[in-house]
Amino acid sequence: MAILLKPVDVAVIGLGGAGGVAVLPLAQAGLKIAGIEAGTWLDPHSFRPDEINNNVRGWPDSVQKANREVPTVRNSVNGPVLPRAAVHPMMNAVGGSTLHYWAQSWRLNPWDFAARTRAVARYGKSAIPVGSTLEDWPLTYDELEPFYDTVEHAIGVSGKAGNIRGKIDPLGNVYEGARGREYPMPPLRSTGFTELMGEAARGLGWKPFRPPAAINSEEHDGRPGCVYHGYCSRGGCHVQAKNSTAVTTIPAALKTKNLTVFDRAQVMRIEVDAKGRASGVTYLRGGKAYFQPAATVLLGSYTYENSRLLLLSKSKAFPKGLSNNGGQVGRHYFGHWVAAGNGGVIALFPFDLNVWYGTPAQGMVLDDWADDNYDHAGLGFMGGTNLHVYNEMHPIQAAGMETFGEPAFGSRWKSFVHQNAGRWNTSHLQTSTFPYEDNFLDLDDTVRDPFGDPVCRITSLPRENEGRAVDFAQRKMEQWYRAAGAIKVVRRPMNPPGVSTHAYGGTRMGDNAETNVVNRWGFSHEVPNLGVLGASVMGTSGARNPTLTVQALAWRTAEHLAKNWKAIALGSV
Amino acid sequence: MSRRTVLAGAPLVQIAALASAAPIAPAVFTPAQMQLIEAVTERLIPADELGPGAREAGVPVYLERSFAGPLSADRGVFSAGLDAMEAAGFTKLSTALQNDFLAAMERNEVSGFRPDSRAFFIRLRQLTLEGMFGDPGYGGNQNYAGWDLIRYPGPRMAVSAEDQRLREPIKPLRVSARKKTMGAR
Repeated sequence: MAILLKPVDVAVIGLGGAGGVAVLPLAQAGLKIAGIEAGTWLDPHSFRPDEINNNVRGWPDSVQKANREVPTVRNSVNGPVLPRAAVHPMMNAVGGSTLHYWAQSWRLNPWDFAARTRAVARYGKSAIPVGSTLEDWPLTYDELEPFYDTVEHAIGVSGKAGNIRGKIDPLGNVYEGARGREYPMPPLRSTGFTELMGEAARGLGWKPFRPPAAINSEEHDGRPGCVYHGYCSRGGCHVQAKNSTAVTTIPAALKTKNLTVFDRAQVMRIEVDAKGRASGVTYLRGGKAYFQPAATVLLGSYTYENSRLLLLSKSKAFPKGLSNNGGQVGRHYFGHWVAAGNGGVIALFPFDLNVWYGTPAQGMVLDDWADDNYDHAGLGFMGGTNLHVYNEMHPIQAAGMETFGEPAFGSRWKSFVHQNAGRWNTSHLQTSTFPYEDNFLDLDDTVRDPFGDPVCRITSLPRENEGRAVDFAQRKMEQWYRAAGAIKVVRRPMNPPGVSTHAYGGTRMGDNAETNVVNRWGFSHEVPNLGVLGASVMGTSGARNPTLTVQALAWRTAEHLAKNWKAIALGSV
Repeated sequence: MSRRTVLAGAPLVQIAALASAAPIAPAVFTPAQMQLIEAVTERLIPADELGPGAREAGVPVYLERSFAGPLSADRGVFSAGLDAMEAAGFTKLSTALQNDFLAAMERNEVSGFRPDSRAFFIRLRQLTLEGMFGDPGYGGNQNYAGWDLIRYPGPRMAVSAEDQRLREPIKPLRVSARKKTMGAR
């Protein structure tokens, strides 16, 4: 029998990018919260510039929950399971993957919230890809704007506004939706390479700008500015300039004394009472099982685990998994189509770029080819791509460069990398991605985690729409590199995404209970006191990183809970 | 916050102490397998006028330690690949023929490998790159031979705007984040 704990108002599952933000408005409202986290606190003194530890081995000294349950992937319903990834791209810790992410903190563009309506209005019904289950979001950009603003200031985001209440500033993103005020900090510093790329883009008539990041560009909130040491990608920040939830919203919530963190605690099931309402969670900690009763439950693990945990939490009221009587858990899943690294557009320059140091968010980006910022007539796809070049290159990665037809080993290769390991670059191209009828998550029928539970299975098919959009963006990227002086450029065709750091859907948000798991506030259509946090509620990706949108939605869901406590927690109106 | 306080705030000594106290890896490969690892990594990155090869840089040590520890679950599969190369008489071939053999593996033209020779070639090459260009604290990249080869200026705890201009690489800093030398500039 599980050890029975004292009841709380809210059990938050996962204290990462989403749950780690949601705890703050809950705590400020005076609700008693159990923050249940599979990982633990990590010591910034242990964060070191070590590519093998960070990038190759995926932080072996952290709690390895995610690595024990890496999802399986197949590219069609009846197709073979692909070789399983050795390391899960996300990590378990207080702060979760915001400890080691690139910290790019974008707002989606207004188009992303209403892509179906806007695409049909501009291009006709045939613009929607065949088989897509795309819906407009149940809220607009303008409705989310105040929450974007709140989170940008709560965690600290550096950047340059391009549109403050309609006033356009070409130093920022002129395509962005109107925002209420400027970012709390100026953008991260530019570098020789990003200035070179900015000049080249302006020469092409494009509108480059420096991207937003949850990284201090100057001293902020008692913590220092970025020191640009070059081990930010999958690396923790040794000076705490990266605004993970572990150094921002979680400590702020702890100060209220309304949040208790239960670390090294792996949630096994969400439990329900006889009426089908969530009653709490069962977790394992130190080999013992505990039951944490809670008036409300917020599920904030990663996209794959959000769907898996619901599907595993079966009961009399929910025989197919919690909140899944409508069969929507796992549906409308998609991995972001991101052409990057050695699978993207790779360029060779005839001079040293000196991109060894810095951080990926210290880049140059452009939105001219993103979303619907250009005319798609005759192109054969909807959506678009944010083009991003950046700093930070590690030595194993550098030596593993594309060889542009030269041998891949031996003395000739040695001579090639001696000259060129510091002269190549790869871009980060994020393409708006949409849900489809036959893209989904479910439970694997053979592969299990060490507790005997099936792991999550991804079914992700090739998509003509996204494939064409990626190809279009790659050609623009080649043009950009060549304008900056690249002498060789290769474009790699993109395969359907597998296990991704940008994974969406599975518990989609929408007004229609027949096609969505959660309502416009993030609460289950079937289990009114169960909320879901994370990109698993998002119905489109946009052409940029999801985290800030995840955090704005998490804040909004938590605030809604606090403001409507009686209706949600007690089931009374 | 000054650069000095940033550095002072980042002692790496605790981890370094742990690393230096780690026991030497037990034998995880047979002598014949180790001989093969030395031969094949040296062909991938040979000693020449540009500097030491994989053997002198300690890449075989990196592989041995990796398979003794974090990659131990993979040892059987990896050993099977080595044995397939041994069965083909790789170590007895001339240098030129060893290069031809590896090129044929890369083109996926050699039988006897699971799943195939190209996959094993890619694995071998990736592990060799990790050993040659990773932190010297893992046994490879001895005397920073890998970082010198690709002109990598080395890890450091803070980097200035001037250090990020378009320019020749800045003066190399030869330190290991896993060994005691990291904090001592």
